[in-house]
Amino acid sequence: MTTLIQYLQYLLNGITLGAIYALIALGYTMVYGILKFINFAHGDILMVGAYAGLFIFTFLLGESTNAAWMLIAFFIAMLLSMAFCALLGMFIERVAYKPLRNANRLAPLLSAIGVSFILSNGAAWLFGAQSRRFPYPFDDTPISIAGLAITPHQILTVLVSVIMMVVLTVFVNKTRMGKAMRATSLDQSTSELMGIDVNKVISLTFAIGSALAAVGGILAAFDFRVYASMGTMTGLKAFVAAVIGGIGNIQGAMLGGLLLGILESIGAPLFGIPSALRDTIAFAALIIILLVKPDGILGKNEREKV
Amino acid sequence: MRKTLALVLVALIAMFSVFANGGSESTSASSDTYTIGFIGPLTGDNANYGIRCSNAARLAIDEINAAGGIDGKQLALIAENSLGTVDGAIAAYEKLVYSDNVCAIIGPVFTSPALAVAQRCYEDGIVMISPSATHKDVTSVGDYVYRTVPSDSLQSEVAAHYFYEVLGYRNIACLYAMNDYSQGLATGVEEIFTELGGTVSAMETCMVGDKDFRTQLGVIANTDAEAIYIPNYTVEDAQILEQAYQLGMDLPFLSSDGFSDPEIYNLAGDFTDGVIYVGPAQAEASTLLADFQEAYSAAYDGDMPDSFATNAYDATYILAQAIDRAGSADRELINQEVKATNDFNGANGIINFAANGDMVASQGVYEVHGTTPVYLGSFQVVDGHIVQVD
Repeated sequence: MTTLIQYLQYLLNGITLGAIYALIALGYTMVYGILKFINFAHGDILMVGAYAGLFIFTFLLGESTNAAWMLIAFFIAMLLSMAFCALLGMFIERVAYKPLRNANRLAPLLSAIGVSFILSNGAAWLFGAQSRRFPYPFDDTPISIAGLAITPHQILTVLVSVIMMVVLTVFVNKTRMGKAMRATSLDQSTSELMGIDVNKVISLTFAIGSALAAVGGILAAFDFRVYASMGTMTGLKAFVAAVIGGIGNIQGAMLGGLLLGILESIGAPLFGIPSALRDTIAFAALIIILLVKPDGILGKNEREKV
Repeated sequence: MRKTLALVLVALIAMFSVFANGGSESTSASSDTYTIGFIGPLTGDNANYGIRCSNAARLAIDEINAAGGIDGKQLALIAENSLGTVDGAIAAYEKLVYSDNVCAIIGPVFTSPALAVAQRCYEDGIVMISPSATHKDVTSVGDYVYRTVPSDSLQSEVAAHYFYEVLGYRNIACLYAMNDYSQGLATGVEEIFTELGGTVSAMETCMVGDKDFRTQLGVIANTDAEAIYIPNYTVEDAQILEQAYQLGMDLPFLSSDGFSDPEIYNLAGDFTDGVIYVGPAQAEASTLLADFQEAYSAAYDGDMPDSFATNAYDATYILAQAIDRAGSADRELINQEVKATNDFNGANGIINFAANGDMVASQGVYEVHGTTPVYLGSFQVVDGHIVQVD
């Protein structure tokens, strides 16, 4: 009985972790879907988002301890941080990727790695190497239900992630702009011939992906704290999640993120593996899935058109 | 061009040989001198350690000689350069022991050379006292090997005894990062705690830089552990404390000297209350230490000694007293007298040697009240039991 509750607890922790991975994985997968390009600077955008959120939140909060204002300030900070990261994402695309769009496939990849270093080293230089706490916008006393412990910030993480994913799904499937995105991802040159402004679609994709990364960064900051290299490992895992789910597929990224989070949390005790190897489990899962299904769980098996 | 280079080289070689000759002539062993050897890095990246230690040893010898030497005989020091390497230390050892015929050795300074030289000292039957090699295995080579620096294993020994004997825990769990520091302490505590009769019901691991410890904490919560030992650096410890609270765990936490970094209170100030950790002992301010530092600074152009130099200074005095009691340069007699060192009062306080040659030193135990560490006292393990020293 204790074991069952224990495993439910691992599952719960895994879902929270997975929700964050899923949010960040969306950015990788959307950009890949449109440009067939892996934006390795995406992880560092989440770091910028966390810092921006932290600074705006503490600025808005000032000396206030008013509970309602704290919550409102948090959401304002999150929205402003999303806007900031959206602009940053578009700017990076314009400066570092767009000029290389027709270049060798490796060129934008290396450019992305360069951007990643500029962002993380820049943050380390500006804000120092110490990690900072992201204050909870509410009393974070854990709640105990039937032997399971959950904290309000974990509930917030899952709620915000679900809302973001629902909004994104509706946007992509029900709006004109979403339709344009889907079309561009299917065939860029034909879309262009049909009168779709591909440049605008690409900018928008980077903006949405980066805004989601900002949310992911802020939510991750509750658990992981804010520091300059926070995007590296989290970004890498989100990328793995995107590939597991089927890169280029939005539902796949959500599923992949959730799976990876749960696997990380539950894998070590389930398989009796030392906990230090939890990341190894995650990456081993990537290899196994790629061997069995190279396109990821929900990936389309695209045939090369002749 | 080439000729000039050759000339310079010849000149350099000539100079070195002159110095070498001069060196050995002035310090060569004779019947009215006791010669002690020193092995340490005197050149290279880590020369600062070797030079300060040899300076301190030389200072001690000069003081003893100025006070009339040992029964009228003078002490001499031959410092050999180990280059900080095993090969260099062995070469230095062979020159000192076989050619210079020293009666005992101070050094080597680093762990790896110390391990190699310790083996030779044991085989040849000559005392070595290292001022700075902290790895727990240095003294396990065998007899003749001593040190005036606390062994790394001392902290885990005091910690395990304190948890078992003073706090009364019979079942603990460890959660540690996979690095030399944390792993060494955790496995050390596990070994000794188990020897004492306690149970370590979980040895949970993480990687340095991990942020999520809920799984490991969950595993521990499922055991009968009464307390959790977390010998990590502050970033991991902060996460562990906070997430344990979030999981509703109320087990007490125990930690190591990593916890003495005040950064922990910035990262997890709400969760540090009640943590007990083993760290550096707070030594009484001794006038011997201040005197040594002043004398050292005066003798070496205002340079200040580091803690290893202080250890080398004490080691030299311990050796000198042993030679005095032995009354001869006989290596075996000197070993017996070093072993018999009893409450030596040095710059680092009172020094005794355990059976294996390790320095018996005390460790401090602290309990955090809110965000303030409160000193509970200094503790030593004597004859298998923990004793409060002050």
